[in-house]
Amino acid sequence: MAFEHVTSVLVADVGNVHTRLLLIDLVEGQYRLVAATRARSTAAPPLARATLGLEDAAQRMTNQIGRTLISNDPDDLFLMPEIDGHGVDEFLATASAGRPMRVLLVGLTPEISLASGLRALAGSYVTITDVLTPDDMRGEEAQINAIVQGEPDLIVIVGGTDEGAELLVLDLVERVRDALALIARGRVPAVLFAGNQRLRERVKRLLEPLTDVFTAKNVRPAHNSEQLFPAQIELALVYDDYRSKSASGFADVGRHSQVGVVPTPQGYISTVRYLNTLPRRRGAAGPLIVDVGSANSVIVAGLRGEPAYTIRTDLGVGHHFLSALEEVTPQRVSEWLPFEIAPDDLWDYAHNKTLRPGTIPGTPEELQIEQALAREVIRTLVSGARQGWRIAPDEQTPSFDPIIGAGAILTEAPSPGISAMLLLDALQPEGVTELALDRSNLLSAAGVIAYLKPLITVQVLENSGLLPLGTAFSASGQARYGRAAMHVQVQPESGPTINHTVKCGELWLAPVPPGVAARVTVRMLSGLKIGGKRRIRQRVVAGAAGIIFDARGRPLSLPRPRDRAARLQQWWDAMSAQDAPAVSAPAEQTPSAAQHPEESAHAVLS
Amino acid sequence: MPYYPETRVVKGLARIVRERRLPAHAIPRPTAIPSGMAIEAVQTVLQGDVLRDYRILDVAAYFNTRDTERAAGWIEVSEGERVTEGQTLAQRGKGRRARTLNAPASGVIARVDGPRLILQVSEQSIELLAKIPGETTITEPHAVQIAGIGALIQCMWGNGGYAFATLRPLPEDGFAGLSKLDVRISEYRNVAVLSPEPLTKGDLLVAQQQALAGVIAPSMPSELREFALGLPFPVLLTEGFGQRRPTELIYRLLQSNMGRQAALDAAIPDPWSANRPEIMIPLPSGGTLPSTPALHDPLAIGTRVRLTRAPWNELTGEVIELPETPQLVESGLRALAARVRVEDGRIAVIPLANLEMLG
Repeated sequence: MAFEHVTSVLVADVGNVHTRLLLIDLVEGQYRLVAATRARSTAAPPLARATLGLEDAAQRMTNQIGRTLISNDPDDLFLMPEIDGHGVDEFLATASAGRPMRVLLVGLTPEISLASGLRALAGSYVTITDVLTPDDMRGEEAQINAIVQGEPDLIVIVGGTDEGAELLVLDLVERVRDALALIARGRVPAVLFAGNQRLRERVKRLLEPLTDVFTAKNVRPAHNSEQLFPAQIELALVYDDYRSKSASGFADVGRHSQVGVVPTPQGYISTVRYLNTLPRRRGAAGPLIVDVGSANSVIVAGLRGEPAYTIRTDLGVGHHFLSALEEVTPQRVSEWLPFEIAPDDLWDYAHNKTLRPGTIPGTPEELQIEQALAREVIRTLVSGARQGWRIAPDEQTPSFDPIIGAGAILTEAPSPGISAMLLLDALQPEGVTELALDRSNLLSAAGVIAYLKPLITVQVLENSGLLPLGTAFSASGQARYGRAAMHVQVQPESGPTINHTVKCGELWLAPVPPGVAARVTVRMLSGLKIGGKRRIRQRVVAGAAGIIFDARGRPLSLPRPRDRAARLQQWWDAMSAQDAPAVSAPAEQTPSAAQHPEESAHAVLS
Repeated sequence: MPYYPETRVVKGLARIVRERRLPAHAIPRPTAIPSGMAIEAVQTVLQGDVLRDYRILDVAAYFNTRDTERAAGWIEVSEGERVTEGQTLAQRGKGRRARTLNAPASGVIARVDGPRLILQVSEQSIELLAKIPGETTITEPHAVQIAGIGALIQCMWGNGGYAFATLRPLPEDGFAGLSKLDVRISEYRNVAVLSPEPLTKGDLLVAQQQALAGVIAPSMPSELREFALGLPFPVLLTEGFGQRRPTELIYRLLQSNMGRQAALDAAIPDPWSANRPEIMIPLPSGGTLPSTPALHDPLAIGTRVRLTRAPWNELTGEVIELPETPQLVESGLRALAARVRVEDGRIAVIPLANLEMLG
């Protein structure tokens, strides 16, 4: 079916642990997210059939909304197109499951073409096995051995501006050709050429007899310009090809998807591109999406109108728990735990989790260990991404808004308040920030749909399939623990005004039901500021967690060991308060208003 | 709705089918193993050469000539030809004045390109064992499939070793008692022992000193992982790392097979591969062909399951209810869960993600 005639779209995301499925359909003339389900992924051995998990998720959706989705025809996965309210018009798929692609990068100069090549690759699940340049000090023999023995799944060749170097690039291409010609057994890596466009046909002639050659526009058409998007699209096709050839049933999934199987972060990048075009709060940078998965973690930021992204294929809270712990260290994880744990016990936990990555915490202590690691994974992602964001190490992190969390460790916390706390702890935003969760992989799905029918993306995101957690008011600066930090007045559209003083070092959730608009006035005390100001007034809509006030200061100092258990428990209790009928710090309710606050528009997602 | 949990096989009697496959880049050597042949566990079923480094040999440069056409004519080998170290690859001149370019190592001529030879050097010969006794069902140059009958226990971790040896329980005083034996006459020499306790480094040292064929234990501290990887015998952990106790079902099954021979395949687990560390104990079929373990069955009421996370780990039970909606579980999370009657009679609500089927 031509995509312009499509009214309903089913989008799957096959992760290492979960397969998520969501259905978008036209409701009263607007595209909306109408259902979302999740099942265990079945792409890994011994099942190695991604479609089983997909069918499980589809059956759950059918039970949820009474719409038949699975086809009776064994040749078709889903009933397509939609007839009489059953089936769907289109099916699309993204994936993060499986081993990352091993990539050899070939290019001319580290600061120019190779840097662009690396940035293009940063949007896919890849592991760089080696880099080959004309300055490589290894001899011909060693270079060929490096290419062959690195066993790459893909060789990416960049280099030469469109009016620039040819001979140097061709030398490298010939070296690749010599190596490919020697691979008589095993899988021959595919090649993606995204260098000097004048060489495109010659490169194809040289390499096509030996392997599959994909081509894209030059990632560096001129010294001062970079175009990554075409190479990323082509990388998505290569990824689909790679996944289809793996023994995990992706060929069946890709066959039914109009775009094949796209890497999940490609969808995020596309969505951030769209979100970047929306009006934003004054002084705020663009949106930030952070996805902590089992094997991979992704951060995509909208900065200066362009998405900046980092994917770490070695950081996760399941398959890569161990490598994540190695990177962040047990010491840093322990600082988030309200109980003592020996480093050896943490290592044992990490090894066991890596052996059974799909399991979930069995006790509250185990949950806190995994959440602690997730916080540190995010902090590591941010630290690594700062260079890409072009901000100095001592420079303040941009005020991203909204901040959207994805991945089960963030989205499936015991309460929305705990999800919000994890984001606040890890990202430490300052000022006023909208927090939201992407529980059903909507962002990636919407991004992929944007390739085909941007109207759906626009409407689905505007009709928000995300779960708004609420607006967070976060204090900057430091003050002594226990002193008054924020005097808060919350005037809901209906109901009594709430006045409350948040003390330094505390978190507080204003008990406003989700969806209720309120005028919030915050007066900062004890030398603290919010977004550089002493007073602020803002109209917000309470999220699933309510309205969030973080008076712990920035940078966030974690409690000393002797205070740790009590303080972390206090934060936990405060952020779980929305679930409990009795709020730990009862709110004082008076009708009075604050003086001369500043007001700004409320955020896109609220 | 079908839910397909992880399956880790623990089965007293099953038909076990395993494939042995040479690495894709290996060159198979012919073997005389037909389909339908009875195979011993330690019998070689596949042989091949693993080729590694390429060596570029420039015949023109070696003979110090610029005439590349002439140099190409001196080459005496062709593409695909196996050569041995010292074998003449190219020769200039004849008789006593002849000069030769000899192979610097054994390998295969990967390419002849004008006056250049590319030799791919043999790194090693490899031989793949059947690892389980049985009968070959499929034989190809690169792969052999073997089917055997016996008990199968899939483990959580292995150190990469393999042995086919008799199973014995540890003496009552454990590894301490074992350490007092004279290794030359010890009845434990070349046998695989089952330890009911988590391993210590001292235990592994005793196992090495006593020339044991293998060690099966519920767990060991993860800090011993690197040490265990360097041991010459298989180490298999049925539960994982830390101080974990054995699952009674597994321990009972192993206990009931003491004195029998067992294949200890301590494959290092890899989440992207189907290979798992496992113990196979060959048993007579009793006249009827047992079924292969069920790896593709969905969870159902009545299914026997293993509980994999605290506080229920090392226990097994039976699914008695599968609620349709997420349940509040002990960690405070809400998750799809099953009500399970644990072997001691208690009933627990366990997240589906924390259940394993037993095949």
